[in-house]
Amino acid sequence: MEKKAKKINFEDALEELEAIASKLESGELTLEQSLQYYERGVELAKFCRQKLEEAERKIEVLQKQPDGTVGKRSVKVKEDTGEIEDDEDIQGSLL
Amino acid sequence: MSEEIENNETVYSVSDITGILKQLIESTPQLNGVWVKGEISNLTYHSSGHIYFSLKDEGAVIQAVFFKHANKHLDFKLEEGMSVVVFGGVTVFEKRGSYQFIVYKIRKEGLGELLQKIEKLKEKLYKEGLFAPERKKPLPVLPKRIGVVTSPTGAAIRDIIKVAMRRFPNIEIILAPAKVQGEGAVASIVTGIQELNNPRWDVDVIIAGRGGGSFEDLMAFNEEAVVRAFASSRVPIISAVGHQIDHPLSDLAADVAAPTPSAAAEIAVPVKADLMAAINNYAMRVSRRLSLICESFANRIALITQRRVFQNPMSLVENFELTLSDTENRLQSLMQKRITEIKERVSRIKDLELMIKNRLQNYWHIYMMQASKLEHLSPVSVLKRGYSITLKDSQVVSSIQKIQTGDSVRVVVYDGSIQCDVQSVSEEVSFGKKG
Repeated sequence: MEKKAKKINFEDALEELEAIASKLESGELTLEQSLQYYERGVELAKFCRQKLEEAERKIEVLQKQPDGTVGKRSVKVKEDTGEIEDDEDIQGSLL
Repeated sequence: MSEEIENNETVYSVSDITGILKQLIESTPQLNGVWVKGEISNLTYHSSGHIYFSLKDEGAVIQAVFFKHANKHLDFKLEEGMSVVVFGGVTVFEKRGSYQFIVYKIRKEGLGELLQKIEKLKEKLYKEGLFAPERKKPLPVLPKRIGVVTSPTGAAIRDIIKVAMRRFPNIEIILAPAKVQGEGAVASIVTGIQELNNPRWDVDVIIAGRGGGSFEDLMAFNEEAVVRAFASSRVPIISAVGHQIDHPLSDLAADVAAPTPSAAAEIAVPVKADLMAAINNYAMRVSRRLSLICESFANRIALITQRRVFQNPMSLVENFELTLSDTENRLQSLMQKRITEIKERVSRIKDLELMIKNRLQNYWHIYMMQASKLEHLSPVSVLKRGYSITLKDSQVVSSIQKIQTGDSVRVVVYDGSIQCDVQSVSEEVSFGKKG
């Protein structure tokens, strides 16, 4: 089950979690099945929460390097306005 | 004919008639949402911000109003005698009994050719299937990293960052800076989209666009190369060009079209708190349900354990013990009874012995008595008492008839015999002295 959870994406996991909630609420399961679904549900909820925390909150700008390749640079932003504030100039284009 | 009409007595008010007229005009498609070509005259920039003018050609004139909210995006100054194309619709101004054209957008004349060119391109790409619904890719529910193609200094990137971070605080945004208008814009946008499609940037969705501007400002997003770049993006792409009326062709080629960059960010980025709430809700439902199920089983178990057997498990053994001791008792009393019986029988056997002894004694006694009787009956014992037997010729003489005088007889007594001769025979029986 652990392996399976790693393969599925957030969307599928969330969908399955909802299905499990509905299934458990249908009350048609044996105790053993309920326990299995519960375990899977807890696992999926954990997986989904992890997924939500996976991104690292960063704003990056692609910039053309002197050697002609494209690199990225982290920049600071003003949270209230969304304005990029960086000491260095930012290229206006990758051309 | 005229009689008939005059005979119709229904009387309308001026407002009624004007209302009918207004409804008629405003619901006529040819009079609304149309482009009209003309020349500006009687131009007035009012202090309220509204712009009033007349639109005329050789044959007619129509009053036109360009309201403040609509003209704020106007990026050139209107001039008397200017040839323009206006977009809008005809409406009736009841109070003055006049009709006028409400303007939403104005272009300098000459843009018509550009429009035609766009229309042709649109048709061509449409025929190619570039805008086909089946080409549209679904957007990811939870993008980790958003790619943006726009100017690093424009309003678009600020709006996208602001909205995205508000919705999902730990979102990752990677900007491919691009010129969005003027010379080099097309190549710049195309490069940006292509670069963000490079797997090394690990982008889940791309927003490409710019804030609102004049028709010419947005032209880059109508260029074939840009439209094709949108259509061929491997990563799901959102067209985010601020526009009022005309959709740029990029909107048709993108997987999703957003009316503004902010809207694009809202479409691309989920509200983290909502997702978290949904997950928690499902998780809570799952846990609550399970605890309910467990509770019901626990209740059943409690009911079972309340039964006497579980309350007092010794009762199980006690029962057996009772049965056992009962059996034991029965067995013991049975044995006792049996023993008594046997004893009785044994004692009865002793009695028999005694009885047999008694019997034997009896028989012995009887025997002895008979024996002594027998003794008495023997002739010897009779002879002993003084009797004797007379024999003649070994015959017992029991009568005088067989005897004559002179016969010789033998008299047998107890301890011997006497030989005698008969002297006389008499019939007289006497044991005393006679004569």
